[in-house]
Amino acid sequence: MPRAPLWAILALAVALQPAAAAPVTVHDAFDRNVTVPAPPQRIVAIFASNVEMLAALGLADRIVGIEAFTRYPPEVLGKPLVGGRLGFSVDEVVAQKPDLVVVTPSRQAANQLIDPMERLGIPIVVLLQRNVEEILSNIRLLARLCGVAERGEELVARLQARLDRVEQRVAGLKPPSVVMITGRLGNGLLLVTRPGTYTGDAIVRAGGRLAFDGGVIAQVSPEAVFNSDPDLLLFAGPEKDMKELIDRPGWSDMRAVKARRAHAVSRVELLIPGPRTIDGIEHLAAIFHPATPSQ
Amino acid sequence: MRAWPILVLALAFSIVIAACAGHDWATPADLLRAIAGAAADLRSRLLVEWRIPRVLAAALVGALLGLGGTVFQGVFRNPLAEPYLLGSAGGAALGATVALLVPLAAPQSFILPVLAFAGAWGATMLVIGISRVSGAVDAAGMLLAGVAVAAILGALRSFLMLALSDETVSLQIVLSWVLGGVQTPSWPVLGLLAVISAACLALTMRLAGRLDLLGLGETMAIAFGLNVNRFVALAVLAGSVVVAAAVAFGGLVAFVGLASPHIARWLVGPLHRPLLPASALVGAIVVTLADAIARAALPPAEIPLGLVTAVAGGPFFILLLARRLRT
Repeated sequence: MPRAPLWAILALAVALQPAAAAPVTVHDAFDRNVTVPAPPQRIVAIFASNVEMLAALGLADRIVGIEAFTRYPPEVLGKPLVGGRLGFSVDEVVAQKPDLVVVTPSRQAANQLIDPMERLGIPIVVLLQRNVEEILSNIRLLARLCGVAERGEELVARLQARLDRVEQRVAGLKPPSVVMITGRLGNGLLLVTRPGTYTGDAIVRAGGRLAFDGGVIAQVSPEAVFNSDPDLLLFAGPEKDMKELIDRPGWSDMRAVKARRAHAVSRVELLIPGPRTIDGIEHLAAIFHPATPSQ
Repeated sequence: MRAWPILVLALAFSIVIAACAGHDWATPADLLRAIAGAAADLRSRLLVEWRIPRVLAAALVGALLGLGGTVFQGVFRNPLAEPYLLGSAGGAALGATVALLVPLAAPQSFILPVLAFAGAWGATMLVIGISRVSGAVDAAGMLLAGVAVAAILGALRSFLMLALSDETVSLQIVLSWVLGGVQTPSWPVLGLLAVISAACLALTMRLAGRLDLLGLGETMAIAFGLNVNRFVALAVLAGSVVVAAAVAFGGLVAFVGLASPHIARWLVGPLHRPLLPASALVGAIVVTLADAIARAALPPAEIPLGLVTAVAGGPFFILLLARRLRT
């Protein structure tokens, strides 16, 4: 067999090989350097947000494990579960033979999994999302790690363009003060969105202003909600749950409720820090500033 | 003494069973291959680096609880005494809550056992200090001070949990720690735990003779020349070190410290010199098996260890108790 064609084939193979085949190192939210020797093909993605970001990058088919509260997108449902309400199983993660684990430090996931994965030599990357900017940078980071950096840049550019349009639309408009209720506790206290969270950032980007702007703790009494006297009351959850809440004695006296400015908003858009958060911001902007054109 | 070979064999058997148990069951042959290093696949590394250290840590935590329980039951001469009696559970839980919820500079795998130990030990020191200051240095005074300190620490912990939790840092992580769960140590840390456990056994064995004297009643003990108040304080200090070490690596594991000494007493009798090591072995067996159940019963989740020890150990203990009382 003549040599020259073989060389040519090899050279061609090297040229065609994507640049990402070389090891990639990223810096994660826990100040760790995470290196993958080649683009991961078997990813355990813990939490809905991380699954949604990977799916938006077209990588849903590389996901081999999720946790029990992941409900979207449909193509990942039915994949093996590696954890749920009672925590995360090292055994079950390892059984999927992953070459990348993606976690967020909620519900003990990072603490339960970083140590064993590091000991076993499985790359594990920790993502934080304290504001919308971090959601975008997480998408970029995952794209780079998985060897689809360009796709990531395109996706982020599209999302950024939509954010820019919202920003232009609400620019110069007076921001209404907003209280967003994200949960109710058994003792009557309410969970509200605080500053310094991506949900709080989403409200601000949509042209709103948080009525609770200090460092309040997440649970507040209904009385504090009354006293903050917001222009708008948002309830993250189904319409009927919100009705049930504001039909309680006293709520009908609230200015926002009287003015029919109490709205139920989507939990999956505003409480899962992924690409759908941008949808949530567009929807919020339409609620905050209904007079402006919606496109 | 035919109880000893049985206990040792039962422990060895439990350890092997527990090392095999998991969402993904291994065979003893897999274990041997993994330990020998013959297979370098991910599953073998999981066994060697993760499951086996965890099983051994569970055994040691159980042994410490057995020792601690025996010391406390001996000191207070009360079959209901348990290792968490003098505020150590409340202190440990407070320390752990801080470690779990407050963002600190050190990694949690380090800060959690350290703060849990400090909390458990500190709370008991506080109890002893209070009973000394108030002049009630006897067992009853200490118990009352313990109840008060436990109430205060519990309230502080609840406040911290409410103040520091939000959507991302949930109360669940504190709750699941309070319900017990063995940390998986690295091999060097496991070595440290083994050394601590051996030291605890040696320390408590030095108390054995005087615990027997105290068991005769305070008057008799004094007649035999024992300074009862001094010894009670000393024994409580020693016991609280043992318990704090157990809590640091295993969280709050219910019931084992209460039940192990009783089971051991049925096997080897009431004298503390055989009772202490026997109780340690019983505790080790119980926690090893309970931890295996916790890991394997409901995949992919892990049940908190303290729930397993109470739910599975409780009826077993009642059964033994009933049979014992009938004969």
